[in-house]
Amino acid sequence: MPAETHVEQGPLDRAAIVTLVQERLAEILEIEPDAISEGDSFADDLDADSLALIELVEAIEEELSERSVGFRIDDEDLEDLKTVRDAVDYVHGRLG
Amino acid sequence: MTSPLLPVAVDAMGGDRAPAQIVAGARLAVADGIPVVLVGRPEELADVHDIEIIEASEVIAMDADPGASVRRMKDSSLVRAAEAVRDGRASAMVSAGNTGATMASALLRMGRLPGVARPAIATPLPIPGSTRRNVLLDAGANAECSPEMFVQFAEMGAIYARDRFGIAAPRVGLLSIGEEAGKGSPLVKEAYDLLADTAWQQQAGATFVGNVEGRDLMGDEADVIVTDGFTGNVALKTAEGVAKAVVKALLGAFDASDDAREGARLLAPDLLPLYATLDPDTVGGAALLGLKGVCIISHGSSSAVAVRNAIAVAAELVANDHIANLRAALGVAAD
Repeated sequence: MPAETHVEQGPLDRAAIVTLVQERLAEILEIEPDAISEGDSFADDLDADSLALIELVEAIEEELSERSVGFRIDDEDLEDLKTVRDAVDYVHGRLG
Repeated sequence: MTSPLLPVAVDAMGGDRAPAQIVAGARLAVADGIPVVLVGRPEELADVHDIEIIEASEVIAMDADPGASVRRMKDSSLVRAAEAVRDGRASAMVSAGNTGATMASALLRMGRLPGVARPAIATPLPIPGSTRRNVLLDAGANAECSPEMFVQFAEMGAIYARDRFGIAAPRVGLLSIGEEAGKGSPLVKEAYDLLADTAWQQQAGATFVGNVEGRDLMGDEADVIVTDGFTGNVALKTAEGVAKAVVKALLGAFDASDDAREGARLLAPDLLPLYATLDPDTVGGAALLGLKGVCIISHGSSSAVAVRNAIAVAAELVANDHIANLRAALGVAAD
């Protein structure tokens, strides 16, 4: 019997990833999700420091590990994630 | 007050004098009746007697990047200690290790209380000649703060002062450059207006007494002094440095001549208790407030006595239902 590598759930489209990132980030920053736009810079627009970004990454990994076993955001890529869009595109690409 | 049933998780690998002094401190706490579990590399922990060990193969260095370390070293003693609290294996955690990594571990593993923007470090300040202590926060967790965070610091600091020092109705002061309302930076002025609102005071059972100045840190103007983490850390280190310098100067004066030495011998019984109030080992560490669990940060050079005292503080806060009291003050329901 072949080993299962993925839990059978529907594909996560880009819009769903945007919602996921907004909701998790909103919890971390104690703001409303609709106050977060894709174009927002973590540091300049949202006052999210490096620790907040790590909280976001860990929350996304935990959420998505159910869909894709072992899903992980590489630490080396973290410093390239400057905006919400960067994070969404990264996750979308990794899930692709 | 009931004793905690769960042990306090102690990071056995963190600190300049780890693991020997950490283990020795843990043994002292156990002898005092406080259950402890050590977290670290078993092969490096000697003389643990019957103390349980949670294995952790990695150690976050004192100078390591906090966030990156917690991400990469998932089997570190700090991360495992925080997970022990999260998973219900321990009632609290104590570390004398990397302060930033302790905060990151506790934050990422235990989690923040809902509504808390950022946890804050609450440090007891000695009051020379008194057994009372004031509470300063934030003492270094958040270099930049919003005015709203000051109100949260006030709420959490008031609860901490009550649970830790039994101050029934804490007086909260805002650290500024003048006593008069309207003195201070734009941030401090905004914070003043928010702190003057009575709603949070009633919920926390505290009273905002207005601005206080640096000279009031060890005085009787306020029981809890709130400020941003940058200013708080500078104030704390200044106070520590001045105390150390004065003690050193006094010791030098006491050794200056035979008469001085004789005088010191006569004064010793009255001076030693005063020195004890200034001794960092007696403080019992600083508390990281705003998390879903109790986390005590002990000084990096902690001796066994300092570790024992930090463990005792952790156990005391657990026994006093500190997290539940914080939730109530912040208006947060239990999970």
